[in-house]
Amino acid sequence: MGIISVYIVSKAGGLIFSHDQPNTSAEVEATFNCPLGLVLEEVDRQVVVKYGEKHGIQVGYSLVALNGQPVANRCIPDGTSAMTVLTNPENYPVSLKFARLRVSINERIMLLSMFHSIYAISVKLSPAKHSSGIQCLEADSFKFYCFQTITGVKFIVVADNKQQKVEDLLKRIYELYADFVLKNPFYSLDMPIRCEHFSTNLTRFIEEN
Amino acid sequence: MTTRGKRAAETLYDKPLSSKGKLEVNLSTYAFLFSEIVQYSHGRVTSLSQLHEKLSDLGKHAGFRMIDVLCLREKTPKRETRLVNHLLYIQKTLWKTLFYKEADRLEQATASESTFYLFEDDPVVNRFISVPKDQSSLNCAAFVAGIIEGFLNGTQFVSYSQHQLQITYWSFP
Repeated sequence: MGIISVYIVSKAGGLIFSHDQPNTSAEVEATFNCPLGLVLEEVDRQVVVKYGEKHGIQVGYSLVALNGQPVANRCIPDGTSAMTVLTNPENYPVSLKFARLRVSINERIMLLSMFHSIYAISVKLSPAKHSSGIQCLEADSFKFYCFQTITGVKFIVVADNKQQKVEDLLKRIYELYADFVLKNPFYSLDMPIRCEHFSTNLTRFIEEN
Repeated sequence: MTTRGKRAAETLYDKPLSSKGKLEVNLSTYAFLFSEIVQYSHGRVTSLSQLHEKLSDLGKHAGFRMIDVLCLREKTPKRETRLVNHLLYIQKTLWKTLFYKEADRLEQATASESTFYLFEDDPVVNRFISVPKDQSSLNCAAFVAGIIEGFLNGTQFVSYSQHQLQITYWSFP
């Protein structure tokens, strides 16, 4: 898997770039008989597993497809709500596909500004003078690396445990930023990055590693 | 005068641009400068064609100055007088001096004998520029077209007939 996502946070704390590697979200498809065994609820235009665990599907997974038809905005393509289909015992056995959907962009902006504040707190709490902030947050299945440049821009990479030399990757991403974003006359500082060359080169670079 | 020269300390401005004598400029330095040029022009025009014109005008200044530079550095003092040879000179020598490589192709149009196309598939000036979608017809290589125009004007290849010396530029994917 390697690198899962790349984020760039401006010096004010706002997210200016986010990139996720495709094919890194877990998808499970299984056939279910009545009763379902999972408790589903509608949250934020999604049908989400609230309680229960079956066939590798855990709490937090969203319903992506029902009997092969994609589920969008809690409904299947012909307009009927997915929940009504599932509460009717006549429709069983039914084939359902669940996936852990990515965090929405607004939530991401909020979470990364929170991280920006936590980073500032860690600098203040440090016993050594002129210390850097958080460089790596370790969890059981992933590591969260952060590199702050002298100008205050933070480069964040979420990688799995197997990925090596993420510090070098962060420096190289900084180089790509300096090349394709800062030399672009149509980019204003601290604005969201919408530069084609940067996105293409970054994707290519991540794929190579 | 000589004693004055020995006493005056050599400031940064007296030194040549590249101390190794290699006549090279850092690509990043150039890219930042060109980005500022484009931003400066962009803020003073109201339409895309005007921006192309402004960039091309700036290129004309640069092209005009390249004539003397090239003549100084050339070993043979012979000047090209025929059109085709002169265009080949542009493709090879001028491009090599500016971009360290030759222009990709020089072709004559099948329709008219006086139209030539000079192809450049990946201009160095455009390498770091990502044009936003709403201005996708902008090509900052208008600057390079201006250089060619300035060079041709300065070497007396301006046509005196009704036919205009027209430089147009295409972008290749």
